[in-house]
Amino acid sequence: MLITALPTIAQMTGMNRILRGVSITTPTGDESLAAGDELALRTRIVARALSLLATDVAPGTVWELTP
Amino acid sequence: MIVVHYLNQFFAGLGGEEAAGLEPARMAGAVGPGRGLAAAGLPVDTTLSCGDNFFAEHEARALSQLLQWLDEIGPDVLVCGPAFGSGRYGYACGSLAREAGRRGIPVVCAMTPDNPGVLAASGSAYIVPTGPNVAAMRKALPAVASLARRLGEGEPVGTAAEDGYLPRGARTNVRVARLGAERAVAAMLARLAGQPGTEIEPGRDRVPPPQPIADPAASTIALVTESGCVPAGNPDRLPTRHADVWLRYPVGGVTSLDAGSYESVHAGFDTRAANADPNRLVPLDAVRALEREGRLGGVHEYFYTTSGVDTPVAAAARFGQEIAAVLVSTGVQAVILTGT
Repeated sequence: MLITALPTIAQMTGMNRILRGVSITTPTGDESLAAGDELALRTRIVARALSLLATDVAPGTVWELTP
Repeated sequence: MIVVHYLNQFFAGLGGEEAAGLEPARMAGAVGPGRGLAAAGLPVDTTLSCGDNFFAEHEARALSQLLQWLDEIGPDVLVCGPAFGSGRYGYACGSLAREAGRRGIPVVCAMTPDNPGVLAASGSAYIVPTGPNVAAMRKALPAVASLARRLGEGEPVGTAAEDGYLPRGARTNVRVARLGAERAVAAMLARLAGQPGTEIEPGRDRVPPPQPIADPAASTIALVTESGCVPAGNPDRLPTRHADVWLRYPVGGVTSLDAGSYESVHAGFDTRAANADPNRLVPLDAVRALEREGRLGGVHEYFYTTSGVDTPVAAAARFGQEIAAVLVSTGVQAVILTGT
């Protein structure tokens, strides 16, 4: 699965499991957050990624961080 | 018109698997499927051949000999195959086609659309799609002969859709009667009417979604990135753009990709925020947290990296195939890939 802030491009290239990342320059981080909050966000992102990996999907599926 | 035809050892009549180690060979005239090409209007002057295993195991040597012969002969067109669904044969056809194409020789191949030879050809060849086995020969040869004859004689050929070959990724300028604005409006109206279409062929590299993993808590995942994340100082000199390599670095016992220890050398985005905390590119600290909580079974002992800037699709596909082969062989069930 791919975490990216550019899910449309990921779909064009044929990715099947896509999770929208935070930003282009920090797909798994947010520099505006305090360190503890940012790690909590990142842990949610990775947990969501694991859920996507454990889910049967159609080609080109894009998930948001919040279901 | 001088026509050269490439075959593997089997179709060249030199033997089956027991002969797959044969070195390149050169024969006068048409052999095997080449006779079918001749019957379809494409007389073959010279047949080249190589054992499938020899090509796979000694690609540089095989190509060197075959290209030397092509340089001597100076063909107007090269035909490779048909290779049908054979991976080794198709790969040899595609690789030879790529190198011949770079020398300016028109090349026609024939194989299944998912044959690795299609990627190997890198758009250099006109590839006629075939069925998976030799039963497709009768249908393939006339199409191959027709394309090859026109290419060899310098006649124009139609688009991939018109002439029935796989899209090569080449875009050529054409004159059309209707203005772009008119075509855009027509495309919009068609879409609103539920008939979306495009003037540009989409890429063909599509794989079905892999089966989901049964239970993340019992799975080992690997971290892969195209964000150019490397140990500080870029010890192995990962190119910042046009990368032709992927690298991997051990993370066994590493709990976080800390600033000062890792950095991004990617030339395609502003790396300041990422370099202040490289976990923003490769989320190792969060992965470790989930591993400690028992929500993730384990993490592969390396993370894999390249810089995806101006990377040709064929190169990116090769990286993916190579990394996947390593991961599958080490029992990794899934990958979290991060892209910038």
